[in-house]
Amino acid sequence: MIGSLWALIWNGYREARRNRVTVVVAAFALVLLFSTQLAMEVTVMTFDRVNTDVGLGSMSLMLVFLAIFLSSALVPREIERRTIFMVVSKPISRGLYLVGRLGGNMLTLAILTVVMSLVFAAELVLLRSPVTQPIIAAIIALYFELLVLSCLGFFFSSFSGQTVAAVVVSGLFFAGHLSGDIYRHASRSDVQLVQWVGKAIYYALPNLDRLDLKVQAAYASPVAWSDLGASIVYALAYSIALMIGTVVIFERRDFR
Amino acid sequence: MSKTYRLGFFLNKNVLALQGLELVIEPGQIFGLLGPNGAGKSTTIKILMNLVRPSSGTVRIFGTEAAKREARSQVGFLPENPMPYEYLSGEEFVRLAGKLLGLSGQALDTRVKEVIGAVEMSNAAKLQVRRYSKGMVQRIALAQALINKPRLLILDEPTSGLDPLGRRLMRDIILEQRSQGTTVLFCTHIISDAETLCDRLAVLVAGKKVQEGKVSELLSSQVPVLEVAVEGLSKEQLSSVGVNHELKQEISERLWVRVTDQDLQAFIGATQRLQGRVTRIQPIRFTLEDLFMNALQQAETKVGGTFS
Ligand SMILES: Nc1ncnc2c1ncn2[C@@H]1O[C@H](COP(=O)(O)OP(=O)(O)OP(=O)(O)O)[C@@H](O)[C@H]1O
Ligand SMILES: [Mg+2]
Repeated sequence: MIGSLWALIWNGYREARRNRVTVVVAAFALVLLFSTQLAMEVTVMTFDRVNTDVGLGSMSLMLVFLAIFLSSALVPREIERRTIFMVVSKPISRGLYLVGRLGGNMLTLAILTVVMSLVFAAELVLLRSPVTQPIIAAIIALYFELLVLSCLGFFFSSFSGQTVAAVVVSGLFFAGHLSGDIYRHASRSDVQLVQWVGKAIYYALPNLDRLDLKVQAAYASPVAWSDLGASIVYALAYSIALMIGTVVIFERRDFR
Repeated sequence: MSKTYRLGFFLNKNVLALQGLELVIEPGQIFGLLGPNGAGKSTTIKILMNLVRPSSGTVRIFGTEAAKREARSQVGFLPENPMPYEYLSGEEFVRLAGKLLGLSGQALDTRVKEVIGAVEMSNAAKLQVRRYSKGMVQRIALAQALINKPRLLILDEPTSGLDPLGRRLMRDIILEQRSQGTTVLFCTHIISDAETLCDRLAVLVAGKKVQEGKVSELLSSQVPVLEVAVEGLSKEQLSSVGVNHELKQEISERLWVRVTDQDLQAFIGATQRLQGRVTRIQPIRFTLEDLFMNALQQAETKVGGTFS
């Protein structure tokens, strides 16, 4: 069973690599190159901050996009092209299939995150900017944000098409970054109902703000590892719940 | 078992793809499913492979419910129009299938070589599937179905897309599998394939089983028919012989007539009384094709399931 799982995970990575997903690394390097050129011309005082901002910002933008579109498309495309027939007809459960596909997706994203981080670190070293603790924390948190987004992609694409899923998850990405605000505004309201609705939204939406440490990184203000740990646990719990839902839905699907 | 596909916005359109189908396949047999387009052959196979859930009824493979994953561990499956991952090479795909079936290490390596050799794809094994022709894809998909030495082989239209050599190869592989004790279930439109390969077969029309039995029995159960050439009689005279017969054609003053074995003597006597001569008698070999056509004529719907 472990052998099958690993075979699926590795195959997912191989698929991404052969479909040239890795070009985002090149795109990232280009963005860094241009942005530092600009930053050197415009800024003097806040040079480090701008570099970190642009670097982390473009990295997270690219990876978030990739996570949403890859994860929403994986399973629907397999059903559409009927490649899934020769996979789920093997003695593996549909749950294992989904976990394997998710694993492949996360392996791809992990490798991309590591390579992009190295490119970014090289840039910082070359420019004699410091690689700070909050930068590292921000990258780790970003990876878990990608996990939550991927699970959302799998969940919505398990019962709808890839386009719908991608649009919904993109919407949730923005809403997830606002869910803390919604909660705060709602709890200030006098109307009981608004408070409840606000709370309900807060608990239903993924709180992605917790996993966004770009501001801390830009201002080089240290992040407590325990806070980061708590956020990671939150992300894992949210992801597991989503995957359980996905498996339950997927279990009863007809492939035809 | 039965299967109803629910369609439409409110799931209010139903396609009755299978209706009360019952099949028992004995181990060691080659079992053929025959039927026109949309008869429900692929649906039956998909239910067996747990790709589609039956609307009612139960399905067991070697006594295990088909919905359980263990049921599939001894099965090799070749779907209709198979689609391997196009970014893999043929060999990589077969290897992946082997891993998903629990093979690994040396055993996997040798098995991959064996099955790719068996489908004669060794030359193109390293080529990506996206560069394959239809028949090559079919061969690689067959190879992955054989990798775990299955006890049950399920093939959905195995010869589609294959050249004559490929067809022969497919037939040889199926027969070889049977000689090793493998049970084979396959569906096809190609009647000659069914006739040469199957021990037993079932004919599906519009989601219902209309006939089932051993191939030899199905053929011999049909009334033997003879074709008789009559000379020296006009069509009008022939129609007054008073014995059951069917006029097929008229070729240069010779009338070709079909009569059953039973009626033959009476027919000859009757033609002689009218001064006609029976110049030739030949038995008609009754083929599966005729059986198939008869089965089709009896059913009201010919193509597709029942829609409501
Ligand atoms: N995805 C689907 N949605 C709705 N109805 C379907 C679906 N797939 C098949 N059907 C219906 O089920 C019936 C049986 O289809 P099936 O694919 O099993 O036929 P088949 O015997 O394999 O035909 P063919 O020889 O063309 O492959 C058909 O009437 C078809 O309309
Ligand atoms: Mg079919």
